[in-house]
Amino acid sequence: MIKPFAVSGHREAGSLVLHLVGDVDANAFDPLLGAYAKGTVGTSADEVVLDFTRVGYINSSGIAMIVSLLGRARADHRRVAAYGLSDHYRQIFEITRLSDFIDIRERPEEAAAEPRPRPS
Amino acid sequence: MVTQRQPRRDDLLTSFEVASQPGNERVVLARVADAVAAFGLDGRQTRRLETAVAEAAMNAIEHGNREAATVPVEVEVFRSDGGVVVAITDQGGGGPSPADLPEPDLDLKLAGEQTPRGWGLFLIRHMVDSLWVTDHGPRHTVWLEMEVSPTSGAEGP
Repeated sequence: MIKPFAVSGHREAGSLVLHLVGDVDANAFDPLLGAYAKGTVGTSADEVVLDFTRVGYINSSGIAMIVSLLGRARADHRRVAAYGLSDHYRQIFEITRLSDFIDIRERPEEAAAEPRPRPS
Repeated sequence: MVTQRQPRRDDLLTSFEVASQPGNERVVLARVADAVAAFGLDGRQTRRLETAVAEAAMNAIEHGNREAATVPVEVEVFRSDGGVVVAITDQGGGGPSPADLPEPDLDLKLAGEQTPRGWGLFLIRHMVDSLWVTDHGPRHTVWLEMEVSPTSGAEGP
């Protein structure tokens, strides 16, 4: 029932792509923030892309963790995008307004229709 | 948050307890989902109820019972006139009312003026059709109601 969180990342055309697997809850905080820090060291990547394809559960602690990552990325002048969210979690991103700050995409290769400026 | 009548005991579908240990909110989620499976909630409503139940159970474990494993979280599931009602009880009554908690504000959180946390009650409020709270001494109960959508089709047994 409970699926432990894991994250892996790779760099791709100016983006850091983080692939999330398992439950996004309080236990995801250190691994995800750590993967962000490790993946952005010495890189000019101006975008972080979160892959939720293999995530089946996000709770309020997970939302808080995503807020923390978003804040960190914005402080580093990086945009944040996401793909692979189920309809349910896409709705939660809307009611929390995370989707105002995170570019929600259908597919990994999809470019933003109107690229958002880097956070100043 | 509104005041609602309490469901009739005759309408109780199931009741159970879990120890106040982190992670047991997933046990509550699964058992409630099983209990309401035949009551005509559509997939979207079921996911919303599951999220609300898991968040309410997590609050009961962490804040109500302060993760004291020997203090159980009590769960009751009722049929109601238009759907289902889930009651989640802890022993943390007498604390601040949920209505007094600040509404999460993402702008403030990103500006560092509000903690990144504090989304639980917000999610619950937005996931269910009705939410109300009762306190009887130390017993603190969160009631969640989900109405069966007219388009859902199926009737409860």
